[in-house]
Amino acid sequence: MEGIIAIWQRDLKKFFRDRARLFGSFTMPILFLLIFGGGLSGTMETMMTGNFGEGSESFNYVEFIFPGIVAMTLLMTAIFSAMSVIEDKNFGYMKEILVSPISRVSIAIGKMLGAATVSTIQGVILFLLIPFLGLSYSIYSLLLVIPFMFLLGAALSGVGLLFASMIKSTQGFQLIVQILVMPMVFLSGALFPINNMPFWLDVIVKINPVTYGVDVMKKIMIDVDSLSATVRETMGLNLTVFGRQVTVFEEILFVFAFAILFVAIATVSFKRAHA
Amino acid sequence: MDSIISVKNLTKTYKKVDAVKGISFDVEEGEIFGFLGPNGAGKSTTINMICTMLKPTAGEIIINGFNANKQKDDVRGSIGIIFQENTLDEKLTANENLKLHCRFYNVPKEKRDPRIQEVLEIVDLVDEQNQRVEEYSGGMKRRLEIARGLLHYPKVLFLDEPTVGLDPNTRAHLWEYILKLKEKEGITMFLTTHYLDEAEISDRVAIMDQGEIIAIDSPKALKDQLGGDIIELSTEDNQTALEEINEKFDNADVKVEDDTIHLKVASSDAFISSFIKTLDIPITKLNIRKPTLNDVFLAFTGRKIKE
Repeated sequence: MEGIIAIWQRDLKKFFRDRARLFGSFTMPILFLLIFGGGLSGTMETMMTGNFGEGSESFNYVEFIFPGIVAMTLLMTAIFSAMSVIEDKNFGYMKEILVSPISRVSIAIGKMLGAATVSTIQGVILFLLIPFLGLSYSIYSLLLVIPFMFLLGAALSGVGLLFASMIKSTQGFQLIVQILVMPMVFLSGALFPINNMPFWLDVIVKINPVTYGVDVMKKIMIDVDSLSATVRETMGLNLTVFGRQVTVFEEILFVFAFAILFVAIATVSFKRAHA
Repeated sequence: MDSIISVKNLTKTYKKVDAVKGISFDVEEGEIFGFLGPNGAGKSTTINMICTMLKPTAGEIIINGFNANKQKDDVRGSIGIIFQENTLDEKLTANENLKLHCRFYNVPKEKRDPRIQEVLEIVDLVDEQNQRVEEYSGGMKRRLEIARGLLHYPKVLFLDEPTVGLDPNTRAHLWEYILKLKEKEGITMFLTTHYLDEAEISDRVAIMDQGEIIAIDSPKALKDQLGGDIIELSTEDNQTALEEINEKFDNADVKVEDDTIHLKVASSDAFISSFIKTLDIPITKLNIRKPTLNDVFLAFTGRKIKE
């Protein structure tokens, strides 16, 4: 236990000391908010009101993508935080960890918690933008979504840990992550609805953990009930898997299972690692 | 004395290459054990197996009463390792690095700070403990690593090329610290080094070559085994000189290395004057000395240790 906390705190301490990283990671979500929010919201909203009329006036596209942007930030920060494993390997510190009596599963959990915390902090800082975007979410829903953000951050950092354990250079890691992150974002429903996709894309959507993350966050943050059924349908707010609509509980369970699976894989890789 | 490390028939096979071929040796409690060998001899593989970082193909390692293959965590808690390369977190301060180590090794909370100050004192870094490690010089980093390796009071301290890349002055200082440590704490030290003069401080040395231990004894005994003195000479024509020496002195133990002829004799005093008279080829350089570990190494492996 002590080992988990030590590894977790070390990563946090290093995160707060690295100002460039702290601010640099906000450029992407803000860019996406500006481009998608500014560029698409007019079209999207007219389309809704034009097509569906009554009940769709209250639809706000920025409100729809904001949880998605937060999830995207979680994804990117969580995966990039896992890069600390590669840095530790390259700077030799991983040896210090591996020769110590800490159990390998503690190393994996410590690293995962570190990345989850860092990404949750980054995500929560994005909440500061809410008033400037003219959005309003209830404080309650924001507080409710934070623990889930932590869980999602943990699950996604698992993906990062998996790649970090296989790749030796930080450059290689960044390349792979970039190739991986974009499809994970675009095929998650974070930015646009993912209805009526061709079968092969739909398969990717359904195994993509970000899909469930984004969906849960939207369901918690957006007042879905106030939207008309057609708007909900069009904006993909009723995610179905194998032809049946999934519940928030099932989605959280899936994300949780995903986190456990990846912590197990990371543990195996730390067991095999010999500095 | 009791063995703190006991290695039996240790073997490591990679695909079809035998890196370590069933070696056995014991390290006694409190001694400095020098582990020497040319690159690729299997030294690192052996150490990695002893330190639980690599699974042996066969054989048994007992450290401090624990089996290195089965009771990994107990073994890990019993040893301290100073690696060849830097393994400090340079973004953190020295004190933070040491604190983390205490937590990794489950040092009780109330004992952490006193111990940190204690080891910092041994390596003279008390005043610099709140600086980030990136601001440290190479020598200071090494000292900090040694301090860190001691924090959990290991039974055995592994020093893997502890002085590599340091200037001679810092190297000498570092050895002072290490010897001070041995006197004060009585810790067993397992040392590898390329600098054979540094290995002279060992109580015993083992020489490994091609996956096998070919000699194991005190430096003095090993040197005595070579016997006598070493005469190094250069001549105008080494090849002819070599033939001549072989012809005129039966059973002469002679080797040519680079452009120097090495001649091993029981006693140089009686030998040298007749030798110089007998040799027809003019001698350009002559040096007589006692054997060093380098000669032991050369004699056993037929090679000089490579940097």
